[in-house]
Amino acid sequence: MFRALAVLRIVLLVNAVAFNLYHAADYAHPIAAAACVAAMVLWTGFATWAYADKRRRGFPLLTADLALAVALTLATPWVKGPDLTASLPGFWIMGALFAWAIHYRLFGGLAAGVLLAAADLARQEIDASDYGNAFLLILGGAIVGFMCDSLQLMATERDAAERESAMAAERARLARIVHDGVLQVLALVQRRAPELGGEAAELGRLAGEQERALRELIRAQDAVTTVHGDATADLASELARLGSRTVTVATPGTPVEVPAPTAREVVAATRSCLDNVRVHVGEHAPAWVLLQAFPDRVEVSVRDDGPGIPAGRLDQAATEGRLGIVESIRGRIADLGGTAELATGDFGTEWEIVVPRTDDLGSAS
Amino acid sequence: MSEAVRVMVVDDHPMWRDAVERDLAAAGLEVVAVAATGREALARFPAARPQVVVLDLQIPEPDGVAVTAAVVEHDPEVKVLILSASGEQADVLAAVKAGATGYLVKSASRDELLDAVLRTAAGDPVFTPGLAGLVLGEFQRTSDSPDEPHLTERETEVLKLVATGLSYRQIAERLVLSHRTVQNHVQNTLRKLQMHNRVELTRYAIERGLDGDE
Repeated sequence: MFRALAVLRIVLLVNAVAFNLYHAADYAHPIAAAACVAAMVLWTGFATWAYADKRRRGFPLLTADLALAVALTLATPWVKGPDLTASLPGFWIMGALFAWAIHYRLFGGLAAGVLLAAADLARQEIDASDYGNAFLLILGGAIVGFMCDSLQLMATERDAAERESAMAAERARLARIVHDGVLQVLALVQRRAPELGGEAAELGRLAGEQERALRELIRAQDAVTTVHGDATADLASELARLGSRTVTVATPGTPVEVPAPTAREVVAATRSCLDNVRVHVGEHAPAWVLLQAFPDRVEVSVRDDGPGIPAGRLDQAATEGRLGIVESIRGRIADLGGTAELATGDFGTEWEIVVPRTDDLGSAS
Repeated sequence: MSEAVRVMVVDDHPMWRDAVERDLAAAGLEVVAVAATGREALARFPAARPQVVVLDLQIPEPDGVAVTAAVVEHDPEVKVLILSASGEQADVLAAVKAGATGYLVKSASRDELLDAVLRTAAGDPVFTPGLAGLVLGEFQRTSDSPDEPHLTERETEVLKLVATGLSYRQIAERLVLSHRTVQNHVQNTLRKLQMHNRVELTRYAIERGLDGDE
């Protein structure tokens, strides 16, 4: 910030020197004017060096900077004579103004602006353009001060965010290594235990359950790293949570973002399908869930290996008004504008749930 | 089978490596080499000349995906069966794209492992429902770009049935196809996925090449 100001100072100095050389013939005290310009040149050189190091940027330096600008402004009427309106240092005073704004922020910029404006107004009769200049000085100081504050804040926040994301990535990497080790051991126990027989078999079964739970957790966690707002949810990781010893869940490798209420309903419907499998096929009957994501729709298939439903059973149940679960699944999905079809045969029973991803539902991806 | 299938086992967990080696040997397969890291695997592969590499994805550098690509490059006839504990989806998909033709989670039973190794050796792709779901997702993701390979309707249908847990035999019955035809469809989807990977590699190479010209 101060480096940019140093460049600005030199530009302002060249402008002020050129302006004063051009008008020098009309001055009341040309020698004093030359001394003033020399002071500006020397001070600019000194300030460029002094401000370069953070340790030197203290109250004494900033005060001297501002005092010189005010003094030069106040000296103008005597040096130039009463007829010339432009101040001797001209825009050069911006160097001191911005130094205050950058260092002391909003209030520094405001204070320096007020002081310089007061000095500028005090040296002459006030007309409209003088008033405008004074107003700009105050406003400029305040705005630059405010912006510096915001920039500093943003830089701090950005640094913190970068640090945090680097830390999160490192944590995730370490967790992955630990998880993998745990999974290996659990899988091994599960594999070896039945061969040992007796109580070990039960141990193996428990290890298998934990292994599966951990694997699903990792999958769900991987999905969390993709940022999504409150309004959407990742259907893939939500469905993956339904996986168990008997339920196999297959999803695309990438998150499937749908509106959160849609995800909730689809998961609930899927859970109903799986409950149905437990009731009609058996407590430990295997089932499979497949999620497919297309640009315009998501499809969830739920299949079991059961004997299927005899032809006409459903119609008969419908006429008798006891469709219970089947109707509740269809109803949930119909509310989302989708369809739920039931197919049955010697391959078992299969639900095919199709839900559109419409724009007005906000299919954000 | 007149000759024993030659297998290489790559896993950085000694207990696992030994368990797999023992199981395979007990079933009459010949374990011609074992390795604990990617570097060891690549060093021992040429001399051991296995038919099947049973490979853990999470191994010390180079990782399972890189090892898969390297051994397939070295010997296009070799079959790679991924045996993974965590089943990290992106890694599994990357390994299959790199040329692996089978994937099994480590919680699979001994019989399942043996069956998978024998099928892999015979050139049969070993798909879990999870892998089928990933592959389907991959093709759906790229479905709207015309220069990527696409699945036929039949291939999609077969893959979908694999993903919902049907065996090849059940699929053949349900679609009234021969077992061989179902296998061919599954094989084709893998080939297209690997081709898709080559398309990506080529594109990557071209992009890099153009960068170099600038």
